[in-house]
Amino acid sequence: MRKLKQNAISWLIMLPSIALFAFFLWTPLLQSVRMSFYRTRNIELVEFVGLSNYISIFGRQEFRQALANTFSYTFWSLLLGFFVPILLALVIGETVRGRGIFRTIAYLPNILPGLAAMILWSAFFSAEDTGVINIILGHLGFESRTFLTEVNLVIPIIVFISTWRGAGATALIYMAGLAGINPELYEAATIDGAGIWRRIRYITGPAIFNLGSTLLILQIITVFQIMYEPLVLTGGGPDNASMSLMLLMWNYAFGGAMDFGRASAVAVVTAVILLGFTVLYSIINKRKIEWD
Amino acid sequence: MKNRLCQLLLVAVLAALCVALVACGESSDSPTGVGSAPVVNVAPPEEIAEISIDVIDPYLTATITLGNWPPDTAPEHELALFEGFRQIMNAQFPNVTVVPAFFSYTLSSYLPMARGGTAPTLFQPPFTDPQLLIQQGLVADVTDALAEFGLLEKFSPSYIDLLGDENGRIFGLPRDGYVLGMHINIDLFREAGLMTEDGLPMVPRTLQEMAEKGRIIREETGRAGLVFPASETFGGWLFTNIAWNFGATGEYALQRQEEDGRWVANFTSPPMIEAMYFMRSLRWEYDILNADATTTNWAGTHNILGTGMAAMNLAANDSVAEPTAGRGLPVDSFALIPFPAGPGGSYALTGGTAFMFSPDTTHDEAVASLHFLNLIGVLPFVTDDTIAAQRAGAAAARDRGVPVLPGIPAWNDEGFIAMQRAVADEFSNVDMRLYDDFFNSFVDGSITLRGEEPVFTQQMYRDLTAAIQRIITRENADVLTALQQAEERFQEFLDDEINR
Amino acid sequence: MRKKRKAGLPRTGIIRDFDKKTIGVKLTLAVVYIICAVIVIVSIFPIFWVFMAGFKDLREFMTSTAIMPEVFDFVRYVRTWNQLNFLSNYINSFYVILGSVISALVFNGLLAYGLTILKPKGHGIVNKLVIGSLLIPTTIALVPLFINIQNFNMGGFFTPLWLAAGANAFQVILFKQFFQSLPPSILDAAKIDGCGQLSIFSRIVMPLSKPICVVVTIFTVNGVWSDFLLPYLVLGVGRWQTVMVRLFVFSTQQTINNDDLMRAVVFSMIPPIIFFFFFQKTLTENITTVGIKG
Repeated sequence: MRKLKQNAISWLIMLPSIALFAFFLWTPLLQSVRMSFYRTRNIELVEFVGLSNYISIFGRQEFRQALANTFSYTFWSLLLGFFVPILLALVIGETVRGRGIFRTIAYLPNILPGLAAMILWSAFFSAEDTGVINIILGHLGFESRTFLTEVNLVIPIIVFISTWRGAGATALIYMAGLAGINPELYEAATIDGAGIWRRIRYITGPAIFNLGSTLLILQIITVFQIMYEPLVLTGGGPDNASMSLMLLMWNYAFGGAMDFGRASAVAVVTAVILLGFTVLYSIINKRKIEWD
Repeated sequence: MKNRLCQLLLVAVLAALCVALVACGESSDSPTGVGSAPVVNVAPPEEIAEISIDVIDPYLTATITLGNWPPDTAPEHELALFEGFRQIMNAQFPNVTVVPAFFSYTLSSYLPMARGGTAPTLFQPPFTDPQLLIQQGLVADVTDALAEFGLLEKFSPSYIDLLGDENGRIFGLPRDGYVLGMHINIDLFREAGLMTEDGLPMVPRTLQEMAEKGRIIREETGRAGLVFPASETFGGWLFTNIAWNFGATGEYALQRQEEDGRWVANFTSPPMIEAMYFMRSLRWEYDILNADATTTNWAGTHNILGTGMAAMNLAANDSVAEPTAGRGLPVDSFALIPFPAGPGGSYALTGGTAFMFSPDTTHDEAVASLHFLNLIGVLPFVTDDTIAAQRAGAAAARDRGVPVLPGIPAWNDEGFIAMQRAVADEFSNVDMRLYDDFFNSFVDGSITLRGEEPVFTQQMYRDLTAAIQRIITRENADVLTALQQAEERFQEFLDDEINR
Repeated sequence: MRKKRKAGLPRTGIIRDFDKKTIGVKLTLAVVYIICAVIVIVSIFPIFWVFMAGFKDLREFMTSTAIMPEVFDFVRYVRTWNQLNFLSNYINSFYVILGSVISALVFNGLLAYGLTILKPKGHGIVNKLVIGSLLIPTTIALVPLFINIQNFNMGGFFTPLWLAAGANAFQVILFKQFFQSLPPSILDAAKIDGCGQLSIFSRIVMPLSKPICVVVTIFTVNGVWSDFLLPYLVLGVGRWQTVMVRLFVFSTQQTINNDDLMRAVVFSMIPPIIFFFFFQKTLTENITTVGIKG
């Protein structure tokens, strides 16, 4: 009896928080699924339409392009977003003097608001001769480039800017991991005659690999959230070359059509792909993701 | 040790900066509370004193938030003018409270405000949106207030279609119209040697001339001949007009309705293909476009023309304040000319802006808002007060360096139009030779005015913009394929939305 | 050979103090420092540039190819600040942050308390749901969340933003990890003393959890300051708009001058930069526990 009362009070204490999670995270996710089967008007569900929202978005070229772009975003963010922090961690880890400063400064862009960073960099990547990078290229004797108007450059540039913001923070995680390596390992390896490169291969490398495989999934989740970056920089252009799934969702919902049904269908497809990645990842890694 | 010192120093500098800014914000004598009127240090034009301040209705009680207030970034003369209007309103209607609430309307920002009850009482959507807003129940029915004002009988039938529903209820009123033309930065024409003996710029009459003159400007000055906003919906918007002038009207119209009521997109007609090849040549043959075209939006075009980074901009008469007063181009260096003609015709897109009301607007609030609109002289009534208001508006525009031009009236009221003309003449601050062609062109019929395509125009513009982006960013892109893709995309949209 | 370096700090990277200072090693170290210099420049230069760009007027900003402004006209900053009435946006942001921090500490803390200490029957399900929430980005559910908020008529004011901070799975897990490290004896003692479960939380658990509260506070402040999508959808462009909503609206508004926009960017960056220099130690040291966020 006493136990029952205890339980009831405990649940009561957690109830407000659970309600908030339900309101802000869980029910919206479920509602996405439900809404994707409906035609909407204003913000009301008007008519059950089965799979037709899905059929319709898969028929749209912009959606197929956004889907393809997502893989391009993933590729570049693995190339830049994944390896740059590792490089930062390794390099800064080698320094002795000024290390604290380097760490702090590399982290600084992370605290800037993402929106401000995007607007700031849009001036850097302006295609005019007065764009900051073109000014620098000009001083170095190169021709001006047209950056964000180039179909093949626009995604790498967006990933570059995101990396600029995020790399310092990720690097700190690697640095903490590397600092945790038992120093005796290095000494023992040296006594065994291992040079610097072999130490990287057999000691540092594996340590990074362990951490990296966990950070990889976080990196991928982040890629699927890309929305305001192209919204601010290119509006998804040129010719949808930087359109992301989330931006397409935003456009359907808030870009003038108020088409919440299709917007939800896009969201659900994105969530399914993400879940697929996560499952695949946990199978490959043969371990469940445990956070507690 | 050194680090710490550096950090402290930096913090101190930044903190000082902040304190300075905050102090500056506070030292001004305006209330700094949220939503308050911005600082105005300029007196309103003296013409405003001619408006009577006798009480008109002591009993009308309402609080109206006015989204047609100038933005707080507006020049002080404009803010002063509205502050003056507010004081007169207070005198005429002691129980009406006017709350300035500048609102730059976009559908995505309006929607949450309308739903959450925070939308301004009065706001200004473009003519493309009223029907959507009415269908979605996002605006108030103001039929009775309009009737009380005697405005209903002044509505032309097309405006009833635009602003009413199927039951004959009316949800707003027109503000003014615009006609697309071309903004000219005369300084660049001068620099490129494109001036007549009379000191007038040798402006293009046709699209072909536009390309050629643009090339000369590029060669002589290094600046772009034409700034083209090939982003969002803007590219498609302007391109539609270009396509018309290549002949994409009538049987080749971009949209047509079949006999069974089905809407069909037609972007692959010969004139459309020709127009897109022309677009292509602007980038790859004449090279007259601004480098950032695909990320330039409407505001960007004015930044670029106003600062002399480009010589020509396809833009309308209602935005002449943007490159001039807004971006620092002197009125002497600015001209407005008709939209260049093409091989298939000479059209100019016309549209306009409406006044509409947030969904929870009461009758009294609507009436009070109409009184305010009448006070600032935009309703089609000619009285001493409205003349004074028009003169004050023209004086404020002149004082801040905006070309004072006759408007394109939304109301077909001869007396009102004549009054507007007279006021514009009185306060004219420009060489009308630089504007006459524009204003005469649609009176003498050398240009045919044409409204926007009928259905889902914004979506159509978006799809066309994507095609333009493809053409001007890839030299080897196929024009026909790009147009076909845009057509397919928009047809899918039409089938989804109205052909079901 | 084991000569200590001047500052007496040991090398802790791959190259160790016991390595011979061969040409190769020296060269590698040189390259390392060159790369670090590049990192510093790439990190700082854009920020420095935008502060400088704010001193330019529109014409100079659009047409000049110089990095530095022609004159350091501070008045331009002041004018933009006043015109945009940025102070009221700062105040709004401050309100949002204040409410969000309280909500984040209370609600996330309480849930973690329930899940790690009280552990009522069936708490495992909630635990799994919270952990699962980490794997789906919140952006995905933005549309129905917006509709939920509108249906509850909560649009137009800060309330939804405050409450949203109380549903943060990352922070619940942070709290949980910390609570697990608390000595159970203290809690038992508290129970014997007859403290209610809520007062154990407020009188014992939270005071003992100051370090984690500081971390949660700092990350909430930083996150809330930067957020603009949900605030934009909730607040619209009305009188309550925060600094970032203001910047977003401003950047899409059709009357914008690019020079004013750059100054607005500066205004939105100054508080986080100041904040960073006060709390950079907490921020950088705890990023490992918080993971990549924001």
